[in-house]
Amino acid sequence: MPGTPPPPPEPARGWAHHVPAVLAGLALLLGLQLAGTALVEVTGIPVPGAVVGLAALLALGARWRGVVARAEPAGTPLLKHLQLLFVPPGVGALTQLSTLVQNAGPLALAVGGSFAAGLVVAGTLLQRLLRRRVSA
Amino acid sequence: MSALVHAPGFGLFLTLAAYLGAGELHRRLGRPALLAPVLVAMVVVAVALELLGIGYDEYLASVSVLTLLLGPATVALALPLLRSGRALLADRGAVLLTLLATGAVSVAVTVAALELWGASDALVLTTLPRSVTTPVALTLGQTIGASTTLAVVLTLVSGVLGATVGPWLLDRVRVVDPRARGFAVGMVSHGIGTSRALAESDTAGGWSSAAMVLNALAMTVVLPVVARAFS
Repeated sequence: MPGTPPPPPEPARGWAHHVPAVLAGLALLLGLQLAGTALVEVTGIPVPGAVVGLAALLALGARWRGVVARAEPAGTPLLKHLQLLFVPPGVGALTQLSTLVQNAGPLALAVGGSFAAGLVVAGTLLQRLLRRRVSA
Repeated sequence: MSALVHAPGFGLFLTLAAYLGAGELHRRLGRPALLAPVLVAMVVVAVALELLGIGYDEYLASVSVLTLLLGPATVALALPLLRSGRALLADRGAVLLTLLATGAVSVAVTVAALELWGASDALVLTTLPRSVTTPVALTLGQTIGASTTLAVVLTLVSGVLGATVGPWLLDRVRVVDPRARGFAVGMVSHGIGTSRALAESDTAGGWSSAAMVLNALAMTVVLPVVARAFS
């Protein structure tokens, strides 16, 4: 159709046009994870490398918004379908069902109890604290 | 037929097909929490492996790309926290206090219940990471020496509990503030609870994912110390 304006240019999302944003974002996330792993290896702190990578992205992203924009094309779909990644270990657990059934009593008490106690404590405490802040 | 079933990509295809099919079924039935796609897909894949005579090790090799993605997915958990950063910083005192109190109560109840029942130390270790989001629970489980597959199931159970019973229980104790509701659900039932909190409101969802990440960070520091008493 003549007169149709050209499509608006892609908003600048950090990388050059020829770099696929998803792959670049994945490389950034993997790089941070590996940097975390290296740091764990050197310091010997008992924390998973990926969690150190999480903290690193938190620190970098709070300082430079561009880092967030570069991580998002890979991070957002990964988080949206995080549950897909749990299918393989879940299948493994189904094959261990006998351990689960054997210990069903104590497990139900521990999981159900700490679930209910945690939920009630977190909800009521935070609500009270936030309310006090508003009225103060 | 056997060549097809034992092709390197078969397990991955099976997993993707089961996950997408379960997601579609979930959407059509109006998103019942008990039929969470992850649970349905797990059962479907487990049954298929059994029927087709594929061993778990062979299956794991086929889906290694999914296992690999858990690392970058964990790093990406920083993104929702950065998004709700300003609101959290404004109320950092309340948030930190809630985080500490809930974490302490959660660990104490878990340990007390299992000790009273006389459960083995190995079982205590396996149950500890259950309120932490799964990618972190997996690596954390390895760090503290838990049975990781069982730890994953307990994590999923906590998530489904949060999505089904959570909002009802919060109504009973009259928690109405969406920030407190979201935070509480995220603390105890991580990603699955967070997706339910998002359905309540954006505020609840944002606070829920923040709670999930903060809880994962706190537990990463605390659990190895607690675990030392049981190993």
